[in-house]
Amino acid sequence: MAIVRWKNRDLAYPWDKNDPWADFKNLQDEINDLFNIDRYPEATGLFDRSISPAIDVLEGDHQFTVICELPGLNQKDLDVSIASNILTIKGEKKDENINKKGKYYKKESWTGNFQRTLSLPASVDPEKISAQLTDGILTITLPKKEEAKTKQITVNIK
Amino acid sequence: MADRKALEAKRKTYMSCCDIYKENGNVIVSMEMPGVSKDNLDIKVDGDLLVIIGKKNVNQPDGKYMIREIRDGDYQHSFTIDETIDRNKIEASIKNGVVSLKLGLKESEKPRKINIIAK
Repeated sequence: MAIVRWKNRDLAYPWDKNDPWADFKNLQDEINDLFNIDRYPEATGLFDRSISPAIDVLEGDHQFTVICELPGLNQKDLDVSIASNILTIKGEKKDENINKKGKYYKKESWTGNFQRTLSLPASVDPEKISAQLTDGILTITLPKKEEAKTKQITVNIK
Repeated sequence: MADRKALEAKRKTYMSCCDIYKENGNVIVSMEMPGVSKDNLDIKVDGDLLVIIGKKNVNQPDGKYMIREIRDGDYQHSFTIDETIDRNKIEASIKNGVVSLKLGLKESEKPRKINIIAK
């Protein structure tokens, strides 16, 4: 059995065909790519593990949106909770092949328990939080409380 | 030049986490592609080349980013497969953002037990 990762340079950089520096450029790109991989999350809580899924947090005028990449997880493996302004995403990513007799030739994905804690800068309405898991992406919408919303105040000049 | 422009306009692609597992005469390649649905997944076999392209659904909510860790771009994996893999026995499935490819090995490649006939 041989299965080799294949890279077609001509496909990736077709305009570089006649460039003598193309190989160096490719090498530079590949090394840069190595450093660009976000293996370590930027923001973690005190009790968070070093392995944790990548998240995006967006602040809108009326709500916060938290997007979390969780491939291979089912709804029952996940636990999302909020206490005052602290959002916790907990879960377990299981290894499907753990009880099987086969052999791994390559394993890049991680498995195990994870936890991410986020403290949100403004108070959210805990009643209106909604979460959705589609295609391995968890989207949590947290509407802000009325008093925390940015308000437009018109000033009348007399 | 037109080609170059078309290529630059394309979204970046990168390789996501990939596991290769072998059991019972099958090679299972699973790739994590969160955000890819069944319709946006494209798998093709061209001779010895196996290409998997997954396009992410882009629906960006309003607001500005406070934390941004998820990479923007589509997923692309390319593998060369050798003649031990039966081209007619390739199955693919996607579930919860994990693409799973089952590549069947040819019968001739599987371990065989040889019966000894005592005379």
